[in-house]
Order: sequence, then C-alpha cells, then structure tokens
Amino acid sequence: MDLLTVETFARPTDDDALRALQPTLGADRTLLGGGTWLFSVPQPHLAGVVDLAGLGWEPLVAAGDGLTVAATTTLAALGDVDPSSYPAWPAVASFRGCAEALVGSRKVRQVATVGGNVCLALPAAPMITLAAVLDATATIWLPDGRSRTAPVVDLVAGPQRNALAPGEVLRSLHLPAVALRARTALRKASLSPLGRSAALLAGRRGEDGFVLAVTASLPRPAVLRYDDVPTAGALAADVAAAGETVGGGWYDDPHGSPAWRRAMSLLFAEEIRRELGGTG
Amino acid sequence: MARIRTTVDGLVYEDDVEPRMLLVQYLRERLGKTGTVIGCDTSNCGACTVHLDGLSVKSCSVLAVQANGSEVLTVEGLERDGQLHPVQQAFHDNHALQCGYCTPGMIMQSIDLLGDNPDPTEQEVREGIEGNLCRCTGYQNIVRAVQDAAQKMKPGATASQPASVAGGGA
Repeated sequence: MDLLTVETFARPTDDDALRALQPTLGADRTLLGGGTWLFSVPQPHLAGVVDLAGLGWEPLVAAGDGLTVAATTTLAALGDVDPSSYPAWPAVASFRGCAEALVGSRKVRQVATVGGNVCLALPAAPMITLAAVLDATATIWLPDGRSRTAPVVDLVAGPQRNALAPGEVLRSLHLPAVALRARTALRKASLSPLGRSAALLAGRRGEDGFVLAVTASLPRPAVLRYDDVPTAGALAADVAAAGETVGGGWYDDPHGSPAWRRAMSLLFAEEIRRELGGTG
Repeated sequence: MARIRTTVDGLVYEDDVEPRMLLVQYLRERLGKTGTVIGCDTSNCGACTVHLDGLSVKSCSVLAVQANGSEVLTVEGLERDGQLHPVQQAFHDNHALQCGYCTPGMIMQSIDLLGDNPDPTEQEVREGIEGNLCRCTGYQNIVRAVQDAAQKMKPGATASQPASVAGGGA
C-alpha cells in the first residue's frame, strides 16, 4: 500500500535514540513495528514513521520470575519457541497456537510483532489473548524518560483503541512464572479455517487456580478467575454475563454475528474447562 | 531523500530514495526488476513476495529505506548458471500457472516454505502459501509443483520425471 504522505523515516539503533524521538510521536508520526497492518490500509494522516527494527531488543529473556518478551519479537519467533526448552513452563506450548491464530500467512508472522499486535488492539489480536490468559504485564516507556507498568489487558480500550498516551512506547511484555507453570488450552472459531478469529478463548490451570480469557468474541478481553476449576454451570453463567457487560456486549462485525460468537464462546469455555480437568 | 545501500540478487546498489518509496516500487522502477509484480496494493495477494534477509516478505509492505543494509532476493535472482531454481523448474514441469501473474510470489513463498519444511504434506503446502492468491484459482498444480520441488530438492535426489500435469484449477 502506498503511504504517499510519509516524508520522514527514522530507525533508531539504540534505546537513547528512541527515547529522544518519543516526544515527537503523535497522530502524524507513528511507530513502525512489522507494518503488516500499517501498510494494509490508507494512512493519509501519516507524515513520518519511526522504525523499531534497528533497536536489537532481545526477543525473549528468561529469568526466575518469568519470561520477558520484547515488543519487537515477531509472531513467527514466538511461535517457533520450542516448549522443550522450557520444561518447567508448560504454558510455553500455547505460544504457537496463539501466534498461528493471527489471520495472516507465514510471511506476515515473520514481520508482525507482539507489540504491534497488542497496540493495534483488534478484538481478534492473539497476542492479547496470550497476554490475558498468562497475566502479562506491559512495560511502557513514557516520553519524559520514565517507565510504567500495567496489565496488558488494561491497554485494550476497545476495537483498535489502546490506552497508551501519545509518545508512549510499549517496550515489553512480562509473563510471570506462576502463569507459565500452568497447563493451558486454546480454542478458536472463524468463518474460514484460516480466517480472522470470531472467538478465541484460552484457559490455564495451575497453582494459582483456573483462568479463562475470552477474546475476539468481545470488543475487549474478559478474564475470569477461579480458585479451582469451576463447575460447568458457574463458568457458563460467568461467560454469558461477561458477554453482556465487557466492552458493550458480544462483538459484531463481518467475521461473525454476536449470537454465533456467544454460542462458540460458551462451547469453547466448556471444552477448555474439561480439557484442563474439569468435571461435573 | 535517504541514502540506502542494498544487495539485490547478489549485486550491491546505492541509491537516494524518498522515505515513502515502497520496496516493490524501488525494485521495479529503479532497478528494473519487473519480475516482482504488484497485484493488489493492499497487502493481500502476495504477488510481490521477495526474500528480505532470507525471509519472505510482501515488498509492498516494506519501505525501501527499511531494506537499507539488507539482502533482497527476487524471482530474478534464483537462476544459477542458466539453470532454473528447482522450484521454478517444478512450476514449469507441473504447469503451475494459468495467467502467471501470481507465479513470482508463489515461487518465492514456496522456497521460503520449503526452507522451513522440506517435505510438506498437501495441507501444509496449502497453509504455507495461504497468503498468496491465484486469481485464476489454479492452486491444484501449484501445490503439486511445490511437492514435486520438495522431492527434487532432497539431498541425493536425482532428476526425475515431472509429476503428472492435471487440468487447470479454474
């Protein structure tokens, strides 16, 4: 897609250079992650881009308290992580499923970034699903040089609306070890086998209980938490209730009707509950 | 204008480009590499697929300045010593084209796919090229060609008879 109005291009090669550019970011000058969405639709307001590809951020940094994923990590890199490299963290096995839930071919996943997917804040964004079910915390660089942290789900204000202030940069996502030690399950529904997700649900069961993330079928994620696996009736009631309240109700767009999304969300919630050991 | 230095199909080029110039425009309009085509202009069809530092990308979704310091491989750089790349040859042998417009992108994506998965099943081929559209719907022979190429690219493989050519997919 021609970006005819772009007049400036910057590719900072270290953190200080990016920090210096942050105050210049705004509606007419944006960050360029992988660009897979940016280049897919007209951007007549755009006069400049700041490319993050030259920063050299380490894609994955493992530590005792969890795994830190750089915002510039590509979905392909995340999906290619070998779960056997992290035997203490079974939840790593969910990376591939989430990465491949993106509507896009391999060559899209090779450039699309985790940070870009989160910041675009589409309901079907699978990195939001992953972050939601694993309680990811975002590290955000402020334009004044400071940093702040926030739950990733709180960055999603609505469809294609994030809660970042002008000039803020999503630096990384931290996945806590307690969540990574859990078992996970993932379900996706779309109108075509490789289509955009109309319902994308992920669950985890571990030492801190049972968590279900309902995404794609809602305008913004719903995260349901339980001390242990809930009964089928309790979970269904909570999913249905979330659909009435979170973000204004079941999402409606050409990728699926609200009624179908509701039905699939309830079905998947129960499948995930059973896969993770639920009975009754 | 921005100064870029890029290796394209093995040759180094230095140019001044406008920041807004897409890589596909640079390849076609500056370097004359019209083998890389523009299909949809909306990042959907994959016809403009090239390899950037060894990975397949849509060259309509990359600025030329982003390729500064990188290596670009287009369909025009696949031939070696007068010999088609095995994937090119397989497309020829299996008549894996109708109008041919999607062919450069299909070939570049297929090479990327076979780099990841040297022996893909039919379903894996279909998923591997899902981001490349054939408006003629000639996928049947394209899939055959990719699998044929996979067999011929195996270590120790010898030239074999081309896979049977089926009717068009339209």
